[in-house]
Amino acid sequence: MSTTTARPTVRPTGYAVVRTGPAAFLLHRRSALVATVLGALLAAVCVLYLSVGESFVPPGEVLKVVLGHPSDHELVVGTLRLPRMTVGLLVGLAFGVAGALIQTVARNPLASPDIIGISQGATAVTVGGLAFGVSATVLPYFSIAGGLAAAALVYLFAWRGGLQAARFVLIGIGIGVALRSITLLFLTKTDHHIAQQAKIWMSGSVNGRGWEEATPLAWAMLALVPAVLWAARAQRTVSLDDDTATSLGVRLGRVRLGLVVTGVVLASVATGAAGPVDFVALLAPQIARRLTRTAQIPLLCSALTGAVVVVSADLLARKLLAPTELPVGVLTAALGAPYLIWLLMRGRTTGGNA
Amino acid sequence: MSRLMARGLTLAYEDRTVVHGIDLAIPEGRVTVIVGPNACGKSTTLRALGRLLKPAGGAVLLDGAELAKIPTKTIARAIGLLPQSPVAPEAITVADLVSRGRQPHQAWWKQWSEEDERAVTDAMARTDVTDLAERPVDELSGGQRQRVWIAMALAQDTEVLLLDEPTTFLDISHQVEVLDLVRRLNHERGRTVVAVLHDLNQAARYADHLVAMKDGRIVAEGPPAEVVTAELVREVFGLASVVVPDPVTGSPLVVPGAPYTPDAPRTPDAADLPVPVQKTGTTTG
Repeated sequence: MSTTTARPTVRPTGYAVVRTGPAAFLLHRRSALVATVLGALLAAVCVLYLSVGESFVPPGEVLKVVLGHPSDHELVVGTLRLPRMTVGLLVGLAFGVAGALIQTVARNPLASPDIIGISQGATAVTVGGLAFGVSATVLPYFSIAGGLAAAALVYLFAWRGGLQAARFVLIGIGIGVALRSITLLFLTKTDHHIAQQAKIWMSGSVNGRGWEEATPLAWAMLALVPAVLWAARAQRTVSLDDDTATSLGVRLGRVRLGLVVTGVVLASVATGAAGPVDFVALLAPQIARRLTRTAQIPLLCSALTGAVVVVSADLLARKLLAPTELPVGVLTAALGAPYLIWLLMRGRTTGGNA
Repeated sequence: MSRLMARGLTLAYEDRTVVHGIDLAIPEGRVTVIVGPNACGKSTTLRALGRLLKPAGGAVLLDGAELAKIPTKTIARAIGLLPQSPVAPEAITVADLVSRGRQPHQAWWKQWSEEDERAVTDAMARTDVTDLAERPVDELSGGQRQRVWIAMALAQDTEVLLLDEPTTFLDISHQVEVLDLVRRLNHERGRTVVAVLHDLNQAARYADHLVAMKDGRIVAEGPPAEVVTAELVREVFGLASVVVPDPVTGSPLVVPGAPYTPDAPRTPDAADLPVPVQKTGTTTG
């Protein structure tokens, strides 16, 4: 009788509780493992990216340059390849998180900034800017404004005393189509030289991008880190149905708006830097979720997956038809399209959960 | 005594008024069941009590304050609600789902406490789902899933629990299981329970306080033995019936008129029905 038969207590399955002082955080063990593996993979892909090119640089020399040690390969690695890779990396991270947030709100794996009109809005306004001769330095701001405006339109039309996931996606697709036709209108009205320039931008390319794009993008993303940390927590309840979440004291309308705005800003700044790199925001969160097997879309792992996808796709884009360089968006689209078809064939497009 | 009240509550969907200025006081520490025919406004009323629906007129009061003026998180610590068809995120495990019931007691920097662990463990033990902790909710049977949802609402640790047709989609043994669980929780923990049920006999068996609604108005309320009469059944459901004492509980049992037969094609009237000898004086035929 004296044996202690303390009843085992129940914790959320698969989570570890991390305590620091009065604070306590839930850490999903498998997600932490997946994030570590993805981080290592990303590092490896980045080193490979910096090594491979017209001339091969040994990984040891690459690390020297990245760590700021003097090296003979400073020019090739540090000046030519590193800035472009950094843009790709940041764009991948941003699209990964943006897709995860928008899919969470829409509860639909089809919802991503490039499907529901946000990329199309950014494109329409940017191409319009190009057509009217706006200088390249302010064009990224045009993209951001375009993305936000498109998102506001979708929100406005989809809102009917609440936000219904299916309507949100369908209206987004409709607005995307309308915006695409506006882009085409600009393209046909402008002279062919500018149209050519616009078309490269539209296919999503980090070719020729450097620190001028990477630095503001990095600052914008850094500024959004608190919002993303908040979002990671909010996802736990937003992924429940509306009635249950409201009963748990969640202000759904506000929380959803916060998640969408964070996602749209991320997608828009990334589009501003590299154009609409198709399918990354759609693919990355779903790949990440399948890896972590979490009940909601894991943000950190989506970000890392997005970065791995963009950096490796750009590496392929540089090498595949060398010396001709493909825009990275062409490759991500080639990867993403079969996935999209598979997703549609599985019949989950109207499913209740992202 | 009641913490939760509706005063002149009018509820509408867009421009269609569903509930017309009802007054309702939920007795504390008792099981209240709202019954009525389809589209009588019973679920709508429950949703308004749980602030899922904003009143078009009047108010729902918690401890005398209008729900609309209380922070939603504060309400969530006092009132738990199990919706009619809750949807679990894909691939979520039982323990993870039940844990999310702790949301109103947590903060961004306080995602898990001893208290959370105690409440979740307790809720799962009471609903007998501890052994299912690691299982994905999608794989459970209807009865198990409903127990898990109730566990989640219990983990929320609220004094008032609102249940919207908790037995729909369950077979009869699971219906009884769920309703017994609700009564047990009410007895052991003194929780105030308000449930919407569509089965009048179940309502009469499990309620301390019965509220009968029709066309968005309260027709009768009180102890089932006083409320459930053949007249009320006719008035509320438009059904001819005989009310006899339940052979097990003694609570009123509604027996509808004879089914169609070729010999008596006319729908029987309650007056025509044979009335069995009443054993208790609590029911009136």
